[in-house]
Amino acid sequence: MSENILVIGGGPAGLNAAVMLSELGVNVTLVERDSFLGGNPKKFKYKFLFPDMQPADNVIGELIKKTESADNIKVYYSSEVSDFKENGKKFDAVIKSTSGSETKTFDSVIVATGFEHFDPARDAKYSYQLFDDVIDIKDLERMMGENNFVRPSNGKPPKKVAFILCVGSRDRHVGNQYCSRVCCTVSVKQAIEMREHFPDCEAYIFYMDIRTYGFFEDLYWKAMEEHDVQIVKGRIAEITSGPDNTVVCKGEDTLLRGPFEIPFDMVVLASGMEGGSQSPEISSKLGIELDEHGFLKPENVTLSPFKSNKPGVFLAGACTGPKAISDSITEGAAAAMNAYTYAVKNR
Amino acid sequence: MAIENHNTGNSGGVRPVVEKGEHIIARHLIEDDNIKEEKNLVIDGVDVSGRWNTFIISRVDSDFDRSFFEEIKKTVVGSRINRCWQCGMCTASCTVTPLYRRFNPRAFIYMMQLGNLKELKKYIDVAWRCVGCYKCSQRCPKQVNPAEMMEALALVIKKYFPEEVKTKLKLDEEVKKIYEDMIIGHGRLDLAKLHTSAMQKSGKTKELLGKIERDAIFKMAKDGRAFSILRLGKPHNWSRSKEAIENYLHKLNTIENGEAGV
Ligand SMILES: Cc1cc2nc3c(=O)[nH]c(=O)nc-3n(C[C@H](O)[C@H](O)[C@H](O)COP(=O)(O)OP(=O)(O)OC[C@H]3O[C@@H](n4cnc5c(N)ncnc54)[C@H](O)[C@@H]3O)c2cc1C
Ligand code: SF4
Ligand code: SF4
Ligand code: SF4
Repeated sequence: MSENILVIGGGPAGLNAAVMLSELGVNVTLVERDSFLGGNPKKFKYKFLFPDMQPADNVIGELIKKTESADNIKVYYSSEVSDFKENGKKFDAVIKSTSGSETKTFDSVIVATGFEHFDPARDAKYSYQLFDDVIDIKDLERMMGENNFVRPSNGKPPKKVAFILCVGSRDRHVGNQYCSRVCCTVSVKQAIEMREHFPDCEAYIFYMDIRTYGFFEDLYWKAMEEHDVQIVKGRIAEITSGPDNTVVCKGEDTLLRGPFEIPFDMVVLASGMEGGSQSPEISSKLGIELDEHGFLKPENVTLSPFKSNKPGVFLAGACTGPKAISDSITEGAAAAMNAYTYAVKNR
Repeated sequence: MAIENHNTGNSGGVRPVVEKGEHIIARHLIEDDNIKEEKNLVIDGVDVSGRWNTFIISRVDSDFDRSFFEEIKKTVVGSRINRCWQCGMCTASCTVTPLYRRFNPRAFIYMMQLGNLKELKKYIDVAWRCVGCYKCSQRCPKQVNPAEMMEALALVIKKYFPEEVKTKLKLDEEVKKIYEDMIIGHGRLDLAKLHTSAMQKSGKTKELLGKIERDAIFKMAKDGRAFSILRLGKPHNWSRSKEAIENYLHKLNTIENGEAGV
């Protein structure tokens, strides 16, 4: 008899966990809240992924295809785990979907519920939602994905765009002290795409630090050296409206020591990643720990970042903190291996 | 300008020549350059001459001027301006900065990137102080070649601030001319002569026969150097070298003027 393993969340991490388990001959139950698979990259139509600008479909599309074509993966769309109980070393879960509720017993569980984009409207100084031409990186991902890069206010191509880093991250005021890790790289990637397709549109990046860690640094160099993207040191303290339908970024140039108020056609906020509402929900439903940042807490962040504090429940992807797709996929595989080992041991 | 009137004093109850922006209460907080006063000012048909025509110009930078960046990027020496990420290793390794703190290659490059001429203008007097040692270029992690960026800077300063160059850098230009004439004319650099000529030009005629100078003359006369210098001729076949240098300088001038668009 083969093992039964529950995977919660069908983003890059959950999908890869499901695919790996299916290859081991496990019966996988994949519960996804949305009506589609692919997680945030699919939801916001990421088109080209850092670091190598490959089409998102190569990665996400590939994983979805493998999942949907595997005989031993049962996907529940628009569904959630409504009840969860330990049953000896096993787990009883109620899966609630549009077609009713179903109770199943699992040998082990992988939580891959991911992250939520910080909602910039929560930080009023950036005037998101107040001005049409203030958007954020997920909006821009979608605009580029839909080949619709224009100023929302008038449908015309912008001539001067500002990226503002660390929106919703590294800011006590909004309650998030941590760095969201990907937003620097997403921003330089988007600035490159913008300059490639719209060379007469100037791109400025307002930064406090640029954290394109590891090899992502290549994109940062490329943005400056091949695409003349200009970086300006200073965090923006306020966005106001300016003359001729512009939005004005107010900040201090900390290198020249002086205030500036620069008008732009469009401003892109690099909003960060948050644990979202799903993290505390899953935490209380499954009885696993939440950390002080609002993400799920691994048993040991260094030794076993893919284990929860509850034996038999494993973690993968951005649900434990901001990370790139490659890391999420790697963790999906690591969690699969651990969930499988646990299941086999307790057969 | 205002400062010139400072020392005229307030004597005999006569109202002193007014200082610029005298009605501003916290006057000491405002830089002279940021105060604008018109002799006569009529706004919407109303004569607002007098105390109502004093304006304080905001110190806030209100735009980036990318055309300036583009212009510099097109020059040979400034072509790598887009690379600089403001780490400051150039300034940290610079020969000149410890002597003139206001000479800051890192900051100059930034001002050029953002087209901040207003800020650059404040540094015209020191912006030319690069001695071309290339230590910065050896250190720069992005291979911006900051030493050559300083050349680009010199070019644009000439173009955008010709008035200031004429006044603030008058002496530099004159000394440069003496230097050039000396090389072209004699094929040799006579440091003593360069020194005395420069002092003459800067009006320091009295110091010309100061103690240091007197001692030097005495020493050189004693050990015979003073006479051997006089006997030195021009280098062999100098006229051909001279011609080549003159040609080069002429060409350089044409290029410089071309690049700076003057
Ligand atoms: C704007 C932006 C651009 C990015 N671009 C890149 C890039 O180019 N390259 C790169 O490597 N990384 C990129 N990233 C990072 C990337 O998005 C994440 O690493 C990745 O999405 C994390 O995958 P995940 O599966 O852990 O989570 P998610 O993608 O968030 O997927 C989680 C899934 O779980 C589901 N779920 C949540 N809660 C429940 C629940 N209770 N029950 C059932 N299902 C649930 C969600 O609906 C979702 O489908 C980007 C991030 C941002 C913010
Ligand atoms: S990755 Fe960059 S933009 Fe995002 S929080 Fe960290 S420093 Fe800020
Ligand atoms: S020129 Fe080079 S050394 Fe100087 S600040 Fe720029 S990157 Fe750093
Ligand atoms: S070349 Fe000029 S700017 Fe560079 S270190 Fe030497 S003096 Fe300083």
